[in-house]
Amino acid sequence: MIIVLPFFTVLISAWFAWRGRRATAMGWWAVTAVIYVAWCFYHMTTPLKISL
Amino acid sequence: MIHQLFGLRRWTDCLNALALVGVSGVLWFAFLWQIIFHDLPCPLCLLQRVAFTMVGVGLMLNVCFGSRPAHYGIAILSALAGMVSSARQVLLHIAPGDAGYGMPFLGLHFYTWALIAFFLLALYLGGLLLLDGMKQTDAADTPRSPGWLGNLGIYSFLVILLVMFVATLLECGLGPCPDDPTDYLWIPGK
Repeated sequence: MIIVLPFFTVLISAWFAWRGRRATAMGWWAVTAVIYVAWCFYHMTTPLKISL
Repeated sequence: MIHQLFGLRRWTDCLNALALVGVSGVLWFAFLWQIIFHDLPCPLCLLQRVAFTMVGVGLMLNVCFGSRPAHYGIAILSALAGMVSSARQVLLHIAPGDAGYGMPFLGLHFYTWALIAFFLLALYLGGLLLLDGMKQTDAADTPRSPGWLGNLGIYSFLVILLVMFVATLLECGLGPCPDDPTDYLWIPGK
């Protein structure tokens, strides 16, 4: 699991937005969102020490 | 009108640019805190930073191309994603006797501030979406002038993105970060 990967993809997304490539920027945002969800599963699925 | 002072056509453009400056400010503050107090972010803290940058992308699209429902959707979904990771961290440390992670700021830990900030951002963006009389024909795929306030937001956002990418690379390298990091992995002698 490469924690720096979503920082890289979001940087690409912002770069394309700045360069005037709207659809490409939105595509890279979507890639970042998928990585974010995957990383959430990796880091957030251990049981909590509380009762809900 | 006040928005013309900022070089922008509509007052909602002004509010989008201000929000982008605000999100950049949050990221700059977190980074400076990390450097000054050597308070390294944990993996969940890093995920919250990613969520802030994702919100920033939605706002930046609004600033660069004009308001569109898809841009607001990106920003609001990102704020919700950030709320999930920050709420998870709040729940991790909510039990009595748990000192929490990192140094508190004004009595609250950064993940609690992040939860509040994501909630306020979602509220702000939802309100803005209600009030923004978007002219879809105006907001085509062609970029337009973001005004000086928009440019301030865009450049400070791009620079902090680059800085955070490098800082995270130095801290964690090309792998997962430890749950409680104490040093930068890629800075020898630290």
